[in-house]
Amino acid sequence: MDRDGTISSEAGASDDDALVLALRAGDARAFEMLIDRYYGTMLRVARMHVSTTEAAEDVVQETFLGVIQGIDRFEGRSSLRTWMFRILVNRAKTRGEREGRSRPFSSLEADLETGQPSVDPDRFEPDGRWAGFWAAPPAATHLPEARVLAAEAGDRVAAAFESLPDTQRTVIVLRDVEGLSALEVCDLLGLSEGNQRVLLHRARTKVRATLEQYLDDRVEVS
Amino acid sequence: MLQPAIRCVEFVESVTDWMEGALVDEERLALEEHLAICPHCTEYVDQLMLARAVLRAAGGQLPQESPPPRARATLLEAFRRERGS
Repeated sequence: MDRDGTISSEAGASDDDALVLALRAGDARAFEMLIDRYYGTMLRVARMHVSTTEAAEDVVQETFLGVIQGIDRFEGRSSLRTWMFRILVNRAKTRGEREGRSRPFSSLEADLETGQPSVDPDRFEPDGRWAGFWAAPPAATHLPEARVLAAEAGDRVAAAFESLPDTQRTVIVLRDVEGLSALEVCDLLGLSEGNQRVLLHRARTKVRATLEQYLDDRVEVS
Repeated sequence: MLQPAIRCVEFVESVTDWMEGALVDEERLALEEHLAICPHCTEYVDQLMLARAVLRAAGGQLPQESPPPRARATLLEAFRRERGS
């Protein structure tokens, strides 16, 4: 696990080994770490399959109990995270089917935001030879990436992230924070590849817009 | 300057499909041709990448729900009972 508590896909295998050994040895702190690390993300994923937050909480609870009981049978053929999420999604789907509604489709439809432009149309030339080309382009960034990463850009981006519609937030967190592949996300959330991409596009577009605003503010004050 | 096959207003709509490798060759080439001559769309892509890096770096601090204390306690208790320590 990294300093900031993320488990990167690249470093996954060896970190997994240590964590699995600790869990099997009954190290409660390892289990606590697992809960704190994944509870929120699991809740987001579960919510995509069941109709209430309470049901999603139950599913996450059952999943962690399943991890406690099943960790001895974990063979390491996938990452620990993939294995846990598979337990989660199986349980969530079963629960959703039992509820008779596997997912609030209406919210997915709304969150795709079909027909909405990605960038304010006023920022493009309205007519003439260059219609549809930038009139107010994004300003060139001269801040080194490290400074942006270290600065309060994170707070602004976090606020933008928080205001995203549920399904967009779930997709971007799995893809860009957790580093899952598109196929894994489609599988976990029961999305088509096309819809997964649209949700990712909407989410990334909004986060970029917030970052641009932050970068512009920095130019004005400097 | 010769006008590229697609305009900026279309580029920003297709950029994720391009980044995800979901375009057919003809569309992909049109986007890449546009990108090669458009510094503004290049900047746009750079900002998308930077936003992704910021989000990833902020990962641990992103607002997310933590387990309700009772659920957490129940799980830890179950762990100690089952795994015996």
